[in-house]
Amino acid sequence: MNLDPVSLEVIRNALTAIAEEMSMVVMRAARSPLLREAGDHSSALTDATGHLVAQGQDVPVHLGVMSFTVREFLKRIPAESLQPGDVWIVNLPEVGGNHLPDVKLIRPIFADGMLYAFSVSLAHWADVGGAMPGSYFAGARDAWQEGLRIPPTRLVVANQMDVEKLGLILANVRGPEERRGDILAQIAATTVAARRLNDLTVKHGVAWMRLAFDAIHDRAERQMREAIRAIPNGVYTGEDWMDDDGHGGAPVPIRVTITIENETATFDFSNSADAVPGPINTTPFIAGAAAFYAMKALYGPDIQPSGGCYRPLTVVTRPGSIADAGNTRPVVGGNHETCQRFADAIFHALVPIAAEKLSAGGPTTAGLLIFGTRTPNGDWSTFYEVHSGGEGARIDRDGVAATRVHLANVMNTPAEVIEAEYPITVEFQRLREGSGGAGKHTGGEGVARGYRMRADDVSLTTMFERAVVPPYGLEGGAPGALFRATLKRATGTEEALRGKQNIQIGKMDLVVVESCGGGGYGRAPTGA
Amino acid sequence: MTDWRLGIDIGGTFTDVIAVSTAGAMRRSAKVPSQPQQPVRAIVDAIAAVDLTWDRVAEIVHGTTIVTNDIVEHRYRPCALIATAGFSDTIEIGRGSRRHLYRMDLLPRPPALVPRHLRFEVAERVAHDGSVMTELTDAEIARVVDAVAASGADTVAVCLLHSFRNAEHEARLGAALRTRIANVSLSHEVSPEFREFERMNTTVLNAMMMAKIKNHLGLIDAEKPDDSRLHLMHSASGMAAPALIAERPLMLAMSGPAAGVAAGCKTARDMGTRHAVTFDMGGTTTDICLIVDQKAEIAVNRDLGGQRIRMPMVAVDSIGAGGGSIARLVSGALVVGPESAGARPGPACYGTGGTEATVSDADMILGYLNPERTLGGSVTLSMELAEAAIRSLAESMGFTIPNAAAGIARVVHANMARALRRASIERGVDIRQFEMIAFGGAGPMHAVEVARLCGIARITVPAFSSGFSALGCVDATMSYSRQFSVGMKSTAWRDEYLARLVAAQTDALTAALVEAGHAANSLLVDCVAGIRYSGQSYETSIADPVLADRDALGAQFDAAHTALYGYSTGEAWELASLRIEVSAPKGETESATPDAIESSIAPIAQRHVTFESGAGAMVDVLDRARLPVGHVFSGPLIVEDSWSTTVLPPQDRLRADASGNLHIEVTL
Repeated sequence: MNLDPVSLEVIRNALTAIAEEMSMVVMRAARSPLLREAGDHSSALTDATGHLVAQGQDVPVHLGVMSFTVREFLKRIPAESLQPGDVWIVNLPEVGGNHLPDVKLIRPIFADGMLYAFSVSLAHWADVGGAMPGSYFAGARDAWQEGLRIPPTRLVVANQMDVEKLGLILANVRGPEERRGDILAQIAATTVAARRLNDLTVKHGVAWMRLAFDAIHDRAERQMREAIRAIPNGVYTGEDWMDDDGHGGAPVPIRVTITIENETATFDFSNSADAVPGPINTTPFIAGAAAFYAMKALYGPDIQPSGGCYRPLTVVTRPGSIADAGNTRPVVGGNHETCQRFADAIFHALVPIAAEKLSAGGPTTAGLLIFGTRTPNGDWSTFYEVHSGGEGARIDRDGVAATRVHLANVMNTPAEVIEAEYPITVEFQRLREGSGGAGKHTGGEGVARGYRMRADDVSLTTMFERAVVPPYGLEGGAPGALFRATLKRATGTEEALRGKQNIQIGKMDLVVVESCGGGGYGRAPTGA
Repeated sequence: MTDWRLGIDIGGTFTDVIAVSTAGAMRRSAKVPSQPQQPVRAIVDAIAAVDLTWDRVAEIVHGTTIVTNDIVEHRYRPCALIATAGFSDTIEIGRGSRRHLYRMDLLPRPPALVPRHLRFEVAERVAHDGSVMTELTDAEIARVVDAVAASGADTVAVCLLHSFRNAEHEARLGAALRTRIANVSLSHEVSPEFREFERMNTTVLNAMMMAKIKNHLGLIDAEKPDDSRLHLMHSASGMAAPALIAERPLMLAMSGPAAGVAAGCKTARDMGTRHAVTFDMGGTTTDICLIVDQKAEIAVNRDLGGQRIRMPMVAVDSIGAGGGSIARLVSGALVVGPESAGARPGPACYGTGGTEATVSDADMILGYLNPERTLGGSVTLSMELAEAAIRSLAESMGFTIPNAAAGIARVVHANMARALRRASIERGVDIRQFEMIAFGGAGPMHAVEVARLCGIARITVPAFSSGFSALGCVDATMSYSRQFSVGMKSTAWRDEYLARLVAAQTDALTAALVEAGHAANSLLVDCVAGIRYSGQSYETSIADPVLADRDALGAQFDAAHTALYGYSTGEAWELASLRIEVSAPKGETESATPDAIESSIAPIAQRHVTFESGAGAMVDVLDRARLPVGHVFSGPLIVEDSWSTTVLPPQDRLRADASGNLHIEVTL
C-alpha cells in the first residue's frame, strides 16, 4: 500500500518539524562556541533500521554521516539489546562517523515495546581531548593522538545519567563543564524528539508510521533517480589534489570515476591515494556525503535527504586508501578538507557535460585556525575559527567575495565576540584585493584577517588547504590566489605557516590569514 | 472641533481606517485604495471616507509599509559608511555564510549595501571593555568628514568597534558629520549591542531610509493643521513621534504587522485571554506572532528582504503560504508554496491569467469562498477556472477535484502548524495553552484546522478582522524601547554600575515620552533581561528580572533555563543584555458597540462545502452582522461579511459577542 501524496507531505512536514526542534534545542542550549555562533551540528530521525527519515537545518557534510551512523551502530549493538529510556553516545569515525570531535547522541524510540525509530543529535565539540587543545593535532600519526575514542556506550540508562561513564568522558576532555553542557543539550534534543514522535505515533499507530517512513524513502529514491536520469550515460573521471598531509609530503591525489547508467550512479574513489600518515584521511561515509551533495546541488536541489536517496547511488572506496583509511589512521582534517576535495573531483569529472552548471574552484577548505588560550584559572579556552574565501566564478556571473561553499557553511566569529572572550585583538578584517582568478567572469576575493595575541602561552593549530594547489579556473579562467597564513613574531621575525601545523605563540605575536580567492570562469578578454 | 482619533494602516493594496470619537462612543471604519506613489493621498482619502475633515482630527496614528517595501524590494539610497580602520569591508564580508545550501547558481548573499568607493575608515580603536586603545583625534575627524563630503554622499552611517560599550568616538564623529551631511546614523544609537556586522548593517539600513521618511513626514505636515497630532506605529508595536522616526526610520520596518499584533494584544486584553497567537493569512504569506501574558513577543534579530536587521520588533514569523500559494505534485508528494501566484497572474479563479492551482482555487472548490463575492468590486471569481487549475493535479493523484482541493488545504494547514510550533518552541512556550486570533482575508477561513493540529482549543475572529491593523493603530499608546548589551558576569557583579546603567537608559526613554506630553509618573517601565551561561551565545529571556538582587536573578535564570531545556547547571552566568520599554498607560477605551442591526439566525444562503476530511454537505451561510449575540451555533457553518469568510467545520461551535467578535470552540 502506498501513502497518498497529501498524507506524505503532511507527515514529512511533521517529522521535519521534530528534527528542526532538536536543532533549536542544541543551538540554544549547547556550550561549544562552534554550536552556538557557528551552527556546527545536525539532528536527524531514522527508522528502526537506521535509515534517515528527516533532518533539521544542517551542515551538508553531516548528511553522509547521519545517513550511516545508526546503521553502523546497529551492526555493533544488536537491536534486541536496546531499551526505552536509554541514550547512547559514540564518536568513533568507523561507526558511521567522520572525526572524533563530532559526537553523536542516539536514542532508540519505542511504541508498544517495539523499536520503530531513532533520534540522533550530532554536535562538534570544541574539544574531545588528545594532544592539542581543540583536538586538532596536525602532527598526528595515529588515531589515538586525536582524542578520546568513544565506542557505542549507553550513557543514559532508563532515563538516568550514568554518572560514572559521564565522569570518564569529562575527565578526558578539556573544558569539562562546557562539554557537560553540550551533552545535556544533545540528550535534551533526543528526548524532545522521542516525545514528539510518540505524539504522532499515538495518533496514527506504529504500523502507519512505518508505512510513512517507507513512503519517504521511496520518494527520495524516485527523486534521486529522476536527478540521475538528467545526466547522460557514460563514464566520467575527475581528479583534484590535496596540498599535503602535514608531514612534508607532496600533494595527494583524489580521484573519482563516475559511472552513470540510466537511473543509477556509481562514484568510485578507489584510484585516490593510499592512506597517508597525517590527519587528512577519512571514512567512506564522508565520500558518500560528497557524492550526495554534488548530486543534489547539480541535479536535484529538492531531493529530500533520506535513506532512499542512497538506493540508486553506489559509493566505492578502496580499503587502505585515503577515503577508507581504517581505524588506526588520524582523520581529523578529512572531515572538512578531504571531504571538499571529493566534491571538487566530482565537479572536475562533470566538466565535459555540465560546465554551465558548475562554479570554478572556491574556498574548499575550512581555513581553520584554533587558538588554545589559558583562562585566568589555568583552564584551556579554545577559539576555533573558520575563514570564508572567494567563490568561484560561474558562466553568468563573477564569484562573490568571502563566502563558504559546498559542504561547509559555518559562520565566522565577530571581532567583538573574539576580543571579549579571548586574549586576542582582531587588528583588521578586509577583503583580499585582487585574489580572485581572472576570466570572462572573475573569481570572488578572499579575506585577510589579523589576530594579535594579548597573552603568552597560546597554542595555535592550523588546518587549511589550497595553499599549494590553488582553486581552479574553469573554461580557461585563471585559478584564484593561494591560501596563506603568516606568523609575525613580536621579535620582528616572520614565517609562513604550513597548512597543518601546531605551534606555540606568545604575547604581541600577529597571525595574518589571507584566504584563497575563487577561480575565474572563461577566458579573460584580451588586449583591452 | 478636534474630537476624533484615527488609526490609518497603509497597506500595499488597501488603506484601512478606523475612527473613534474622543468620547469613545462612536466608531467608523472604511477601506480605500492605497496610492503607492502618493502615500499621503491615501491618508487624505481615508479621512474623507469616514466622513471627517482635518479640523475634526485630534490625532492620527499611522502604520505604513513604506520602509518594509523599500527593504523587501531592495530600493536603497546611496549611503557612505565610516568604520574603524581595518573594518570597513565587514559590510561585505558579513558572517561568511551563504543562504542556500544547495543552490550554487544563486548569489550566496545579497550584494553589500555599501559599494567599496563609499567605504571610509577612521583611525581609532576602543577595546572590548570600553577603554581607548587609539585616540580619535580632531584632525582625523576633520579628514574623514572632508572625505565623505567630497564623495557627494548626503547619507552616512557610522559603526565603530565596541561603540556600544563606549560611544564617545562615534558621538564626536557624528557631531562633526551632522554639520556637513544631511542624514547621519550612528550605530550606538540605532543598535547598541555587540556583533559588529549586525550593528553595521542595521545602521546602514537606517541611514538609507532617512531621506525618504523625512520627506514623507514633511508632506503630511504640510497637509495637516498644527493641532492635529501625528504618530507612527513602530515595529515593536507602540507609537512614536515623528521627530524620533525621522532619525530612526528603521523603527518602521515592521510597522504594518506590528499594528496587527497591537490589535491582537487589545483583543487579548478585552477577552481576558492570557496567551494568544495572531494568525494573519493574506495573499502570499501568513504572519503569526505570539502574545504572552497579553504582551506581544519581541525579537531583536530579523531578516527582511535578505538583510539582517537588529532592532526590537514584534516577533512576527512570516510563512510563505497564503491564498496565492501554488500547489504542485513533486515526486509523488503534494507540495504547496513557497512559490506564489501573487497579485499577477493571481490565483486561477481570479480570472487574471493564472493557470496553476493555488490555495484560493482550492478554497473556491471547497465552498469556502463565496463565488458571488467581489472583494470590494475588484474581482469576479470563477469556479470553472478554479476547477480547470486543479483538475490535472487531481488526475495525477487519482483524486476527485474536491478531494484534491481538500488535500491542498490539509498540506497548507500542516505547513502552518509546523511554523506555529516552531515559533512557540523558539520562545519556550507550549502552543496548546494559547488561543488563536484569526484575521486577514483568509485567516478565518483556515484558522480552525490549523488550531486543531496545534491543539489550540479557542479562536477569536475579532470585529473589524479585515481592517484589524487600523484598529491596532487607533488603540496604540506611545512606547519606546531599547535593547543594549550589558555583559556583566555573575562572578564580577557590580550592583551600582548596573543600577546606573538601567537608570540612564530608562531616563533617556522617559524623557522622550515626557517631551511628548506624558506625565513622568504615569509611565510604565518594562524590562526583559537576556542571561546566558558563559559559553552560550543564545540568551534566555527573563521577564521582570530582579536586577537589584544577583542571587534572585540567578534563580530566575535557572528556573527559566530548566523550563526551556530541561536542565540548569547552577554555574556562573552572564547578564548579556537588557531591553527596557517605557510606555504610556493604555487608555481604557470601551469597545464601541456596533450599530444595532436586527439579528437573525436565518441563513442568507446555502452552499456546498467540503471539509478537510473530504466529506461535503450543503451548509448554511450566515451574515456576520446579523448574528444574535450569545447564540451558540454548531458547525458546519459559513459566516460572511463583506471582506472575509469564517469557516466552521462540522464538529466545532461558534458564537458572536456584543462587540462583534466571533468565538470558536475547536473540538480537539
